[in-house]
Amino acid sequence: MSQESMININNVVAAYGALTALNDVSLNVQKGEIFGLLGPNGAGKTTLLACVEGLHKPKQGETLVGGINVQADSVATKRQLGIQLQKTALLDDLTVAELVKVYAALYEVYLTSKEIDVLLARFDLVEKRNTLARRLSGGQQQRLALAVAIANDPQIVLLDEPTSALDPHARRAMWDIVRQLHNEGRTIVLTTHAMEEAEALCGRVAIIDRGRIVACDAPSALIARLKLNPMLKATVELPLEQVRALPGVSAARYTGEHLEVETARPEAALTALHELAARLDRSIRDVALRQPNLEDVFLKLTGRELAEQN
Amino acid sequence: MKRFIILTKAMTLMYLRNGYVLFWNFIFPILLMFIYGAIMSQYMDYMTPGVIVLNALSFGLVSSSTMMLEMREKGVLRRLQATPLPAIQLIGSYLLVNIVIGVLQSSLIIVAGALLYKVPVNISGLLLAYPMILFGLLAFMALGGVISGVAAKAGAATAVGMTVYFLLMFISDMIFPLDMLPAWLRNIVPYLPAYPVAQLVRSAMLDASLNPNWLSQMALLAAYGIGATLIAAKLFRWEPKA
Repeated sequence: MSQESMININNVVAAYGALTALNDVSLNVQKGEIFGLLGPNGAGKTTLLACVEGLHKPKQGETLVGGINVQADSVATKRQLGIQLQKTALLDDLTVAELVKVYAALYEVYLTSKEIDVLLARFDLVEKRNTLARRLSGGQQQRLALAVAIANDPQIVLLDEPTSALDPHARRAMWDIVRQLHNEGRTIVLTTHAMEEAEALCGRVAIIDRGRIVACDAPSALIARLKLNPMLKATVELPLEQVRALPGVSAARYTGEHLEVETARPEAALTALHELAARLDRSIRDVALRQPNLEDVFLKLTGRELAEQN
Repeated sequence: MKRFIILTKAMTLMYLRNGYVLFWNFIFPILLMFIYGAIMSQYMDYMTPGVIVLNALSFGLVSSSTMMLEMREKGVLRRLQATPLPAIQLIGSYLLVNIVIGVLQSSLIIVAGALLYKVPVNISGLLLAYPMILFGLLAFMALGGVISGVAAKAGAATAVGMTVYFLLMFISDMIFPLDMLPAWLRNIVPYLPAYPVAQLVRSAMLDASLNPNWLSQMALLAAYGIGATLIAAKLFRWEPKA
């Protein structure tokens, strides 16, 4: 991978009135990478993208796209970007093919109907080419938003929550599409609050919490750097204070009905858990050991869950 | 230019596919003619220019902003803002489509008046009337733009627009002659935006002439139009108020 910077965010402070959305954020996105912005809702991911898209003017700092300052020449920077906003609102009284044609034209890219069909085929939308956008299903609309995003053949693609509100099958399909775009040499920035998505897709992720970047690296490097222990997972009801006091246990929490125990010595911890459960007359089910993931990184760095429930 | 044409074509298609918008813009004006015709068929010579201005007023203050407000509310404007399309082209394209629709509506009313109520129509009158109609439309649409800018949501804009519309409708010599009004109101009305348009269009259509006050009336309309355009531009928002 070459080290050419496609997006530079330098000490950006962004605010909505008195509310600070981004607090001194700096980031560089390199050419050809899939870069993830990971954080809970309201962390500032969308605002960060809006600064790059030229939709939000930062209070301080600067944003460069392809070396051009967004504030100085937003038309030149917008031209390089393919964009999908979180709220997929296109001109929905138009058909799928008309929409692609219009949005490409807004970038002064004029597609023939053959080119439009080729593009739609990639997103499995050819049969829907003459269907009004508002009649499409949620997954189809999401794919259309992506087709529209690359209608101008951009080198940089910004995707805001591209898989939120999709069922698992559609989500996988969307991952494949993102990987395809990446294989074509495009630079991709996507936001997500699903850590498994960031792990599956992104070469690097920036973890954002309350308007600050708390960590930025490859997912595996983040996990390795924090020296997180494996997690022992079990379905059982036990008082957390007592679990935390057990030998070998470095942390414990509940996620849903699952007890999660961080431990450097899984065997010792499991034995101790069984003893505790026996004493309290509880039964332990579904024991599993898993490697630490970005969810654990987030929890460690912020002391809070990534709020995957929403 | 090619971009502008494609965008304008798309806007036109969106208009034509929106049944609600079609009804208000093309069926409602004809219904208006039927209603007024049923009530006072013998006054339709006087009424037809009034209905034209009445319709231009509701179109300018309310209907012409509807699609823009919907786009703002649904987030479409924000999506368009993220493209390199200059705002001036977006608004220019939108205005063009709306001006054409406004003029078409007036034509529909003229045709309906001529066919249904034998309203006398002559070419020289129409040649004079159309620029006046256009002039009025532009001023009303600019005022509609101010209302859109002030209102937080589309619903609020419609409510404000309709209120202004109803107030002006009864006092601007469109349906009721001016001498039915109390004296104090009669002195104010000539300075409000709808009255001069009604005067200009009526004398143009019926007598193929300009009324004696045409210059000051057009100057007043221009002041309304330019002032409102500047304010509307200042108030223009890509997003609804939070």
